[in-house]
Amino acid sequence: MHRKSVPLFQSLRFRLIASVVMIEIFMLSLLVWNNINIIHATHTDRLRDTASSMIQQIARTSGNYMVAVDYATLEDYLSNIIDYQELSYLVILDRDEHAEIVLGAAPTQPWPALEEHPAQVMDGVFDISEIITVSGQPMGRVLMGFSLSFMDEAIRESRTRGISIAAAEIVLTVIVTVLIGLGLTRRLGILSSAAHEVGKGDYSIRIPIETADEVGRTASAFNRMVTDVSSRTQQLEKAESQSRALLIENRNLVHTSLHVQEEERKHLARELHDELGQCITAIQADAESIRDLSRECDNRIETSASAILNVSSRIYEVVHAMMQRLRPSVLDDLGLIEAIKEELSAWQDRNPDIHMHFGVTGNLDDLDERINITLYRIVQECLTNITRHADASRVSISLSGEADSLELSVNDNGRGLKQTLPGGGLGLIGMRERAEGLAGEFTLESEEGAGVTIRVRIPLNSGERKIA
Amino acid sequence: MCADVLRTACIALCFSLILAFPVLAATEVNRSCQQSDPLVFGLLPFISAEQLVFRFTPLVNYLSDNLQVPVRIETAPDFVEFARRTHEESRYDILFTAPHFFTRANQKAGYRLIASVDSPEMWAVIVVPKQSRIARIEDLKGKRLATVPPLGLATLLVRKALFDAGIDPDVDLDMVITPTHDASLLSSYHGVTDASALMQPPFEAASKKVRDSMRIIARTESTPHIPISVAPWLNEACAAEITDLLLRMETSAEGRAVLEHNRFTGYRLADPAIYERLDELLSR
Repeated sequence: MHRKSVPLFQSLRFRLIASVVMIEIFMLSLLVWNNINIIHATHTDRLRDTASSMIQQIARTSGNYMVAVDYATLEDYLSNIIDYQELSYLVILDRDEHAEIVLGAAPTQPWPALEEHPAQVMDGVFDISEIITVSGQPMGRVLMGFSLSFMDEAIRESRTRGISIAAAEIVLTVIVTVLIGLGLTRRLGILSSAAHEVGKGDYSIRIPIETADEVGRTASAFNRMVTDVSSRTQQLEKAESQSRALLIENRNLVHTSLHVQEEERKHLARELHDELGQCITAIQADAESIRDLSRECDNRIETSASAILNVSSRIYEVVHAMMQRLRPSVLDDLGLIEAIKEELSAWQDRNPDIHMHFGVTGNLDDLDERINITLYRIVQECLTNITRHADASRVSISLSGEADSLELSVNDNGRGLKQTLPGGGLGLIGMRERAEGLAGEFTLESEEGAGVTIRVRIPLNSGERKIA
Repeated sequence: MCADVLRTACIALCFSLILAFPVLAATEVNRSCQQSDPLVFGLLPFISAEQLVFRFTPLVNYLSDNLQVPVRIETAPDFVEFARRTHEESRYDILFTAPHFFTRANQKAGYRLIASVDSPEMWAVIVVPKQSRIARIEDLKGKRLATVPPLGLATLLVRKALFDAGIDPDVDLDMVITPTHDASLLSSYHGVTDASALMQPPFEAASKKVRDSMRIIARTESTPHIPISVAPWLNEACAAEITDLLLRMETSAEGRAVLEHNRFTGYRLADPAIYERLDELLSR
């Protein structure tokens, strides 16, 4: 199967992977940021609570020693506390703010500003103080400093660990998403290619069912659908073939029927001309002789002979008109152009208010009789339709001949055609049948109020021009 | 020749020092109640430091307010250290100590008696839990007796009482030393020892619950009540002012409140001679 490559940004695979990765990165960044804040808050709160607890304990414990001015014992006790790793220094001040006990890396006086929370610390040491009281009486003050370096180190470690875990998760997510995306889109690609092939008419294609998941079920359904479509398409093709054969048969029948009709008309016109025409001519000749002979004998005979002459002339005109309708003799005598001109002239006489234009280009001589009569009949039908329905003021007819085809165009500026043309359908069908009977094309263009244009194009094979 | 000159110089230096001593001493004596430095009120650690502060803060505040000088409570880790600081460091401006320590403070550091607690006498008691089978001092043989540190008045009085009862405290029973009177009392109260020895005023000041669950099986001989003395470097005017404030306490509502808080009836003038007989206890 040939697979068409999809542009990157339209690719489902790319969009799926990019979306998952972006969401993953965003959510993990949010999570890490939140965790770092929580870790920072937890550590600072823990340090604050620890410091607060320690200093209160020391202040409570130191009271009795301060009253007893027993700094040696107090220092001995506090020297164990200073070993606490976060404790930077510890100072005991007496009631006069004299430093009686100084442990650790204590700052020099003036004592540093006190802080409420480790988050406020600027110098890396959280400085706090507590008044030593005994029975509510102040006995001194404890100063303590807690180094933030251990807390900062713990926060750094937690942050590094969190970021590492997030990065690992992102990488894993990308890998898994890419694998899933590739697997999924590969199978969707197969499905897409198969659908494409089916669209081109290849119903033999089948998708291998690899899994029982949604894509697998879709592939299974696709295979069933292709089987059904194939079966129905074959049925349709068969029906279409039958219909086409019937259509061709019908066309042949129509064509034959038209040909027979034209032949019959031609024969009828010839019979009328040869038989009835001769008889009328004979009647006229006899009537003239009678009129001439009786002119000096009997005036009544002359009158009757003249009446016979008038009637026979009238009969001749009627017969001539019938012959023209059945088969215009000018078509056989002078060709298609002259026949159309004569028809147009007669039509113009009947419709003097309509401006008529007829144009001819190219070589239209030596056409086959069937083509001549077809084009002639189509022009006749068009003019009849224009007279009956178009209410047009201008009609243009052009006929052009090329080496391999003929094209007839009839255009009017009348009302145009509605969707349904009452009573006019048979004429159009007849024109189409005549054109298609010669393997030609019949097209009709019309908009309501914008007139009608009918184009007929008839191909010319080498044998369809008469040998001069 | 050189030796003569050196000898003459040494003699001159000695004379100079001798002549300068009264001047230096006078400088100390001139320390007055109007000074800006706080006066240090030295309290014998006969009860816990917290209890001392609780009980004597009103008295100290009373003195401070009326003298217009800050007065500060101070004690020591134990009796020995308190005595050493009294005798050697000149640490306390006003001294509130046990009767038997006053004589030594007077003798060694020149503390002057200005008043004593206005109570007839005080004594030590030996108490046992009410359900104890110990009924007399003689029953203490072979028992564990809690008491205050060895130099405490209660210990000295009880030791004398035990000797008088034919009991050698170093042989016939087990003396358990506790840091304070409270600790001594609570020791038998909680059953750690069989009996407790302590002075009668701290026993009376103990919580009612503890006191009611104990029974006195013996009392020692009486001693004069607690003396209040001042350091020799305080001038007479200041000492007199302090004395006057103490003696007039019961005349003012503020003073009476302080006395009531201390469970004292008042203060009175006292004769230093009445404390001299207690020196014998320390000499034992």
